[in-house]
Amino acid sequence: MASDSPNSDRKIVVHLRATGDAPILKQAKFKISGAEKFAKVIDFLCRQLHRETLFVYVNSAFSPNPDELVNDLYENFGFDGKLVVNYACSMAWG
Amino acid sequence: MSGVAGDGTLAPSDFRVAAVAFAERWKSAVSALPPWSWIPRPTHPWLSNEVDGYLALENACLLGSSEEKSVGCCGGSEEPNCSGDDEPVDDATLVQSSRDDVHYYDFHIIYDSSYRVPVLYFRAYCGDGRTLLLNEFEGDLPADSSEALVKSKWTFITQEASHPYLNRPWYKLHPCGTSECIKLLFQSDASIRTTSGAAELYLLSWFSVVGRLVGLGIPYEMMKCENNT
Repeated sequence: MASDSPNSDRKIVVHLRATGDAPILKQAKFKISGAEKFAKVIDFLCRQLHRETLFVYVNSAFSPNPDELVNDLYENFGFDGKLVVNYACSMAWG
Repeated sequence: MSGVAGDGTLAPSDFRVAAVAFAERWKSAVSALPPWSWIPRPTHPWLSNEVDGYLALENACLLGSSEEKSVGCCGGSEEPNCSGDDEPVDDATLVQSSRDDVHYYDFHIIYDSSYRVPVLYFRAYCGDGRTLLLNEFEGDLPADSSEALVKSKWTFITQEASHPYLNRPWYKLHPCGTSECIKLLFQSDASIRTTSGAAELYLLSWFSVVGRLVGLGIPYEMMKCENNT
């Protein structure tokens, strides 16, 4: 795990990775404040891809609660200084 | 204990182990809700013996997150027209109606032998035990699943589902999307799928998606302990 800074307001690098039939983004990496909720990442993706719903999940085969803080997810599932977030469009629900 | 199949299904022989692992993690990470317990299957000679029980979480009160909403929906019938005419009797009516707002949920996770995936069954009822219909508890569900409900009402939550053990009508989340979803989840890290503990992880991964549709997200701490063990 990277620097265990107690400062939850730091910027986290989020790496967006398309899976299944999802279109690939021009800019796959972006920075977001660790104090933001995961919902903000989902919203960003939905806006970029013009989708109302997306299936969004992190590594370790887990789809986080939108209420979780980006910083907490990074602390637990991030590596190489970034949080990898996978997204797919093909889900019928979720 | 085997891994998770490449098609996203769970072997019936792995269901119980996965269920017990899930229940243990839930107990250590979620204190606000009752624990899941394993209910041994009553003996039915006509059912296959592959899976001998199911997981149950009962009397969960999900009022907390959507308090405003549920108070609003029941208060609607009562006119807030308490201007000049003072009728103290009205107060009693209000208290009564707010007590009715508390909705309780029973959730069962049952293995479906046809789809070879776990299926979430649930029912909702209010404090006096009256069973609630979908349109009565829809407001408790998170906004995005309410949207999905509108779009594809009966492919999403199936109402006429008969609880396989209790033989009563329960709601269920239709399992047709489940294996596809699990396939995607495990695709992100192919190494997880083949490790020996993958089946234990199965219900956690599955519930991280499915639970949220009924307002039961799992906290990341539950996945964290997976990494530590």
